[in-house]
Amino acid sequence: MQSRPAVLDAPITASREVARDMWVISFEAPEVAVSVKAGQFVNLGLGGGFLLRRPFSVYRAERDRIEVILKAVGAGTARLLAMRPGETVSCLGPLGHGFEFGGGAKSAVLISGGLGVAPMPLAARDAHAAGLQVTWVHGARTAAELCSESDGDQLIVATNDGTAGFGGTAVAAAPDADLVLACGPNRMLAAVAERWPDAQVAVETYMGCGTGVCLGCAVPLKRGGYDRACTEGPVYRAADIDWAALPSQLHFAVTA
Amino acid sequence: MTIDLSVVIGDLKLRGPVMAASGTFGYGTEVPLLERRALGGMVSKGIFLKPRQGTPPPRIAETPSGMLNAIGLQGPGVEAVVRDYAPQWARWDFPVLVNINGESAAEYGELASRLDGVPGVAGFEINISCPNVEQGGMYFGNDPRAAASVTEAVRKRTRLPVWVKLTPMVSDIGVIARAVEAAGADALSAVNTFVGMSMDLNAYRPRLSFRTGGLSGPAIRPLAVHLAHQAARAVDIPVVGVGGIMTPEDALEFLVAGCRAVQVGTATFVNPNAIAAVNDGIAAHLAAKGFGSLADLPRYLPRD
Repeated sequence: MQSRPAVLDAPITASREVARDMWVISFEAPEVAVSVKAGQFVNLGLGGGFLLRRPFSVYRAERDRIEVILKAVGAGTARLLAMRPGETVSCLGPLGHGFEFGGGAKSAVLISGGLGVAPMPLAARDAHAAGLQVTWVHGARTAAELCSESDGDQLIVATNDGTAGFGGTAVAAAPDADLVLACGPNRMLAAVAERWPDAQVAVETYMGCGTGVCLGCAVPLKRGGYDRACTEGPVYRAADIDWAALPSQLHFAVTA
Repeated sequence: MTIDLSVVIGDLKLRGPVMAASGTFGYGTEVPLLERRALGGMVSKGIFLKPRQGTPPPRIAETPSGMLNAIGLQGPGVEAVVRDYAPQWARWDFPVLVNINGESAAEYGELASRLDGVPGVAGFEINISCPNVEQGGMYFGNDPRAAASVTEAVRKRTRLPVWVKLTPMVSDIGVIARAVEAAGADALSAVNTFVGMSMDLNAYRPRLSFRTGGLSGPAIRPLAVHLAHQAARAVDIPVVGVGGIMTPEDALEFLVAGCRAVQVGTATFVNPNAIAAVNDGIAAHLAAKGFGSLADLPRYLPRD
């Protein structure tokens, strides 16, 4: 059961760099903080000439605060990074359908690539709450791009260039588990789908409204047709997505 | 003081002048948070006779003060609309017009006869920005005869209000407006999105998979105000203004330019409660200026 979203003015409270060019920004958003589930996202209105909101997975939620994680890849994210504590964004959320932790599972492996760390701290939280043993496999291109924060009972690190941990992809480094949850570039998620058809993956798409009306965030399905990353997603069973038809390289940060 | 915001458009009485534009409000069941008391009426997402999958992603791209979309009229088809949505509409306290689409005049007519008399369907808005397959893909909306033939095909099948949503991609909107008025339209919605294009400088190809998309948002507003005004000058039937309305002042511009009502679209994507904000702001403006009703608002509509 998903909670009803709220729209509120959320003041920025803090920010910190967690990897090269990768930042975590905290907001005061009490209604969202209390109800958000792992894999859900917020759609942030930045003002200042940016028409559409920007979707971000909720990274952490504690007391009256939520956090999102981003890289400065476009004008919108640059604006967010330039904002000072006390400045507000319009926060709409929590939105979307997140990860599920039922089904009698005893272990979970969280696989994140690059900015795909975004939903994982909450996934670790909710997995622990469901009594699961949690392994987080965190991959990046190079050591400097590895997020310095992690949760879970065990951490496995992978870098494409071998500068830290396993030399190769996070998918190749990941052990099996009862539940496999993944987030990262769509190309990485397609590899997850090959190995674990039942994995739960959080996809990234361009997005408009975030509430299910604009149909801009179409996700192509294996059975044909499309549905909405913002509503039926952003978390899908890996084998349900037509990966060949899902754009694999998005040129601005959309981490939902 | 309570301001009377009600408007009459043909046989339809709206409690307020602000409607939800087609394609930005789904079938009315999706948008959370909206204060529905402020909704004058709603136009459904455009439908065809048959279900349609829509276009592959990417479907949207943000542009300066606007957005391009190429959704491809994804929808469940008329049977699902009649079964799943109309029964809900019948219980609502505002009228729902169905935005209808087709690839031939006959298809539009068939859609209208299928929906005529279905409880919950208060009227039709004809989208003439569809390619006319019988005439080699020419858009109905660019040609006064094709636009009139579609309007006539629908008019013959229903006594419900028939509105026609005009495309801005024409050299003289007055010509099309007069043609559909003569063919029996009860009102005009002016205007639909402008066709636009944006390039991805990483992939060196269009940002939308469909190549082009409809531009909406504040970027088009002055263009839309002008075209709605030109349409209103050309006809005697009411014109409903649409195009980039974000604020109450934007809506008032269309009303002063000669529109009877307005539709809010892209703003709903940004602020799910935009329609209520626009509606309430219109009332506040009228009150501040000492007008007791929307009917008292001065209009600028010189006739040639």
